[in-house]
Amino acid sequence: MGLIAGYNLRSMLVRKGTAAMTSLGIAMVVAVFVMTLSIAQGFRATLVASGSPDNVIVMRKGATSENVSAIAKPQLALIESFPQVLSDSSRRPLVSPELVVIISLPRIGDGQPANVPLRAVGPRAFDVRENLSIVEGRRFEPGTREINVGRLAVGRFAGLGIGSEVKFGSAVWTVVGVFEADDASFESEVWGDIDLMLPAFQRNEYQSLTAKLTDASAFESLAAAIDADPRLQLTVRRERDYYAEQSQTMTTIIRVFGTFVTLILSVGAMFGAMNTMYAAVAYRTREVGTLRALGFSRSRIVVAFLVESVALSLLGGIIGCVLALPVHGLSTGTTNMASFSEVAFKFRITPALMVAGLVFSALMGAAGGLLPALRAARIPVARALREI
Amino acid sequence: MKFLALIFKSARRSKRRTALTALSVAIAVFLFASLRAVLDGFNAGAAGSSSTRIITIRSTSLIFAMPSSHANAIRGVDGVRDLSWANWFGGIYKDPQNFFAQFAVDAESYLRLYPEILLTPDEKQAFLDDRTGCVVGDGLARTYGFKVGDRIVLQVGIPIYGTQDFTFTVRGIYRAGGTAVDNQSMMFHWKYADERAIEKGQIGWFVEEIDNPDRSAAIALAIDEKFTNTPYETKTNTEQQFMASFASMFGNLNLLLGSIAFAVVVTTLFVAANTMAMSVRERTTEIAVMRTLGFPSQTIFFFIAGEGMLISLLGGVLGAGLAVLLVNGERLGITGGFVPAFGVSPRNALTGLAISAGIGLVAGLVPATLASRLKIVDALRRVA
Repeated sequence: MGLIAGYNLRSMLVRKGTAAMTSLGIAMVVAVFVMTLSIAQGFRATLVASGSPDNVIVMRKGATSENVSAIAKPQLALIESFPQVLSDSSRRPLVSPELVVIISLPRIGDGQPANVPLRAVGPRAFDVRENLSIVEGRRFEPGTREINVGRLAVGRFAGLGIGSEVKFGSAVWTVVGVFEADDASFESEVWGDIDLMLPAFQRNEYQSLTAKLTDASAFESLAAAIDADPRLQLTVRRERDYYAEQSQTMTTIIRVFGTFVTLILSVGAMFGAMNTMYAAVAYRTREVGTLRALGFSRSRIVVAFLVESVALSLLGGIIGCVLALPVHGLSTGTTNMASFSEVAFKFRITPALMVAGLVFSALMGAAGGLLPALRAARIPVARALREI
Repeated sequence: MKFLALIFKSARRSKRRTALTALSVAIAVFLFASLRAVLDGFNAGAAGSSSTRIITIRSTSLIFAMPSSHANAIRGVDGVRDLSWANWFGGIYKDPQNFFAQFAVDAESYLRLYPEILLTPDEKQAFLDDRTGCVVGDGLARTYGFKVGDRIVLQVGIPIYGTQDFTFTVRGIYRAGGTAVDNQSMMFHWKYADERAIEKGQIGWFVEEIDNPDRSAAIALAIDEKFTNTPYETKTNTEQQFMASFASMFGNLNLLLGSIAFAVVVTTLFVAANTMAMSVRERTTEIAVMRTLGFPSQTIFFFIAGEGMLISLLGGVLGAGLAVLLVNGERLGITGGFVPAFGVSPRNALTGLAISAGIGLVAGLVPATLASRLKIVDALRRVA
């Protein structure tokens, strides 16, 4: 087996030009495959990272997203009083009442107005979201018109540098700090004090409450307790589940689109591989005849040519992955369909995605090489040997 | 031209190879034309928008409403000829998965400002006469099977309308007479929605018809100045800018689809060039014989390049044809919600054909050059 496979791999080298062209064709397909799926990966990862396992989000019953939820102010105290909610060292419950609205800011680059999410949060918000940390400046002081800006928002929208004044909601706000949040979607947001934001946007209710639990397993008992309380027409969900669901629409669109395009494109590249392999078989008719005469079985020949074709494609797959790699970590933005606002995210090429790309290329090779390999095996020995 | 028969003959020499190559070019052209069509669909709203319509929204963002008293102030602005308004409704039809756009509009003026909304006079009258009536686009009607007379119940959940059900009766099915209007939306009376709203008199955006498109920027500024330093400041844009901001919601589509299209073309180029090189290598002896018989090297060049072009164009015609026949967002059932209507236009198909010609030209270039430069003696001496 080793011997004959080695023979085929060496013959690949004899026809360097053709082999390289075929591999490059497949490389392009794999590069497109990996790049489009890395968008879906990155978008999902960004939203999932927004949810912490022991945080819960409380919204109005039946609300599918924060924008359609409303929570009356007195309900905050009721939620804070549940024993399942963690308190900090000074016995203040870790609950952040929040409101997300969309403001319009010009995008850096094309200057087009973009929908930027503005999250009005309670004074405990930075303790509830543990993955948040200030990288520049300081936190906003509750009770003042100061705001913090996510790291990715600073890079995407104009006029958000520290010290800049931003005008929205009939007031002027000053940027005093930039935060990062482990690539979570918060990094695309602008944060400020909810007690000042509510009147600025003519609202008098919160949209949601985010609470930190004493323990991730306390979720069920909290959900049951809220359900049992007739004063609270609210639902509670794990923060992680909530954000994962928000990414669903967009990820599905990208996945379906990416798969559709690469599948069609792969057929084209497979035809190319088929051409190459047919030519390889034709060139080596006499050699195949010799192998058969020496006693190698038909199935051995089929396997050998398949190995050659798969190797050719795998080589392309590797090149494709390498071609796609530079986009890893590049950040771009798209709309979160659930909130109508822009979310910045990074292309994310995971090892699993690269393995998928390689498997995909191997499949292309196997499918493209099958018919030529079968043809090689069917060559009648006597005629093959007579051929020049 | 007299070599055409010869070119055909040699293309038929290895039928399987010619077919495979043509097919891969066909696939590339198919993909290319489809991608262009999708992109055109997204850009169509902006391209087909009217230059005499401008749109006023709250300066913060579209999702905030402004009081209806703005209407009178805007009417007073010099250059504004007509005015209408609308609200985004955000209702859910049976299941949150069934997403389509619903607008609460001031029907009479809205239909006046948007002549692209094509209704028969009877349907239009029936809609205007029924307080709870609505009209739906023909695309939307097909998707959900709406017929005139049907009742549509929408469940709302946005702040200004509270949580309640609204029932509408379909009074007409409109066709879109231009790309500024899409046929996947539903429109009903703003007044009816406002009567049941929690906050009364809320308007999402105003549409103004202006008398002179050249003055649109000045008129927009004059409107916005009316509301400077009020709690409800506005931002007025041309309809084109307004539509473009919707298309850019998806991020940089041009770049994404553009780079995919580029990869498609390059992949196919590799495949086609490879095939041509193979077929020339096989025919080395033959070409030498032709040279010996007195064919000049230019003829050999055109002969090989022509074959590449022929195979590629064959694929191009096939791919472009299939794209025109098959790719139509509505028929495939993926149009709706945020995906605009799209279909492969003759222009997309022609661009695809041009691409296939380009591929044929480039793919044939190197092999043809090599073939025309062959040394007869070496080539004749070579075996296989």
